[in-house]
Amino acid sequence: MIFIKFMGGLLIVLSTTLMGFYYGKKYSSRLNNLIYMEQCIKILETEIVYGAVPLPEALVNVYNKGNKKVSFVFKEIKDHLLANRGGDVLDSFSYVINSLKEKLNFKKEDIEMLISLGRVLGSSDREDQEKNFKFVLSQIAILEGEAKMERDKNEKMFKNLGILTGLTIVIILI
Amino acid sequence: MDDKEVRIFDNVLEYTCLELNQVLKNISSEYKKEIEEIRLRSGMPLIVYIKGSDYFVTQRGFLTKNSSESILVKREDITKTFQLISNYSVYAFEEEIKNGFITLKGGHRVGIGGKVLYGINGIETIKNISSLNIRIAREKLGVSDEIAKHMIDFPRAIHNTLIISPPQCGKTTLLRDLIRNLSDGVSLLGGEGFKIGVIDERSELAGMYNGAPQHNIGLRTDVLDGCNKRDGTRMLLRAMSPEIIAMDEIGSISDVESIHESLKAGVKIIATVHGSTLEDLLSRNSLKILINEKIFKRYVFLDNSKGVGTVKDIIEGNYFKSIMR
Repeated sequence: MIFIKFMGGLLIVLSTTLMGFYYGKKYSSRLNNLIYMEQCIKILETEIVYGAVPLPEALVNVYNKGNKKVSFVFKEIKDHLLANRGGDVLDSFSYVINSLKEKLNFKKEDIEMLISLGRVLGSSDREDQEKNFKFVLSQIAILEGEAKMERDKNEKMFKNLGILTGLTIVIILI
Repeated sequence: MDDKEVRIFDNVLEYTCLELNQVLKNISSEYKKEIEEIRLRSGMPLIVYIKGSDYFVTQRGFLTKNSSESILVKREDITKTFQLISNYSVYAFEEEIKNGFITLKGGHRVGIGGKVLYGINGIETIKNISSLNIRIAREKLGVSDEIAKHMIDFPRAIHNTLIISPPQCGKTTLLRDLIRNLSDGVSLLGGEGFKIGVIDERSELAGMYNGAPQHNIGLRTDVLDGCNKRDGTRMLLRAMSPEIIAMDEIGSISDVESIHESLKAGVKIIATVHGSTLEDLLSRNSLKILINEKIFKRYVFLDNSKGVGTVKDIIEGNYFKSIMR
């Protein structure tokens, strides 16, 4: 009997701990993805401002050079852009919002930052593009700072919360 | 052959936005192979040019002379088409846009009209694009075969030649084919060709796209794309050792200088100019100099009396006598 109680308790603690880890992970994954995204945007900047590579090609290059965990977004954008014949670049950026939210754990402001890039991408000369990239990169740096703070604050908390909730339930049940 | 012409047109249509593409692709093949220009003007009917006259295009792709039956080109159509033409990358075509046109794959050119913005260094960009002119480039291989015979100067040289024609009469096409002919080698000279330097100021002769000529311009031809004639002549003379320099649309005093410079280096010139008669040219200061110095030994006059690119006359440059037949 005690053995069964022990096993049941263990299961409860294990699952709540996992839940805690899962929620906590979201925060660190957002931060990591933001950092990868920053790298990708920097690659895109080089392609456009220094290489003057046409956009579809530049997007593929970002996909190839960047970390695939994040850079797949740019390939999705390019595919949508070419399929959408003559549609706005912005439409194609909006098209990947769901991927950003679900696969990269991006928050609303992260997505807005990326959309603001899509609004101007390719529509002006190099000088202007460079200014916009500077702006977006400064934005993403701020977002990274926020994400880091949130991670430090919340990740540990969710992990502890998970274990403690499990233990509390077990104690009550006993 | 006909098939190829239709295919060229269909390739150009790839650059138009979906709405216009749907309409234009329904035009019958008979007309497709003749169309020279597609004109998009914001809020105005869709127009195509065939053999010097214009036709409106209806929703179902029929050509008509009645403007009220035509579909209207919307502002978005122009914006979307422009995005396709510039490959969503205005920054990659900065220089081209400053010059007022973009060259497409296949050597076709798109003229741009809109609000021109000036900066410190002249034109900065064109905004609010309101009209696009898609000019379909058609190579006519072999149109210069006859003329090439008149240009050969034995034992192994050519005469300096000026091609004169009103707009849309095939000047550039003729010059391009001459370049190809002379570069590949002319049978009269035992198949030997010349080293030709092309100064392609308006990217029309070679139609460079991504560093590759889109037209057949011969196997001994070097191209300076988008280069002005003065810089181009110097660059070519310095290290490319051309035997012939070809240039399109001469007219300014600096063009005359660069022609003089090439002649000093013993290089022959082939050039084109807008105009219709010799008197017409004499009324222009820069060309007057060239004609009075008897620099050009052959003047080829074109018009479209028997279709685009009819050779009206070939005049010899010392005594100004016709040598056609």
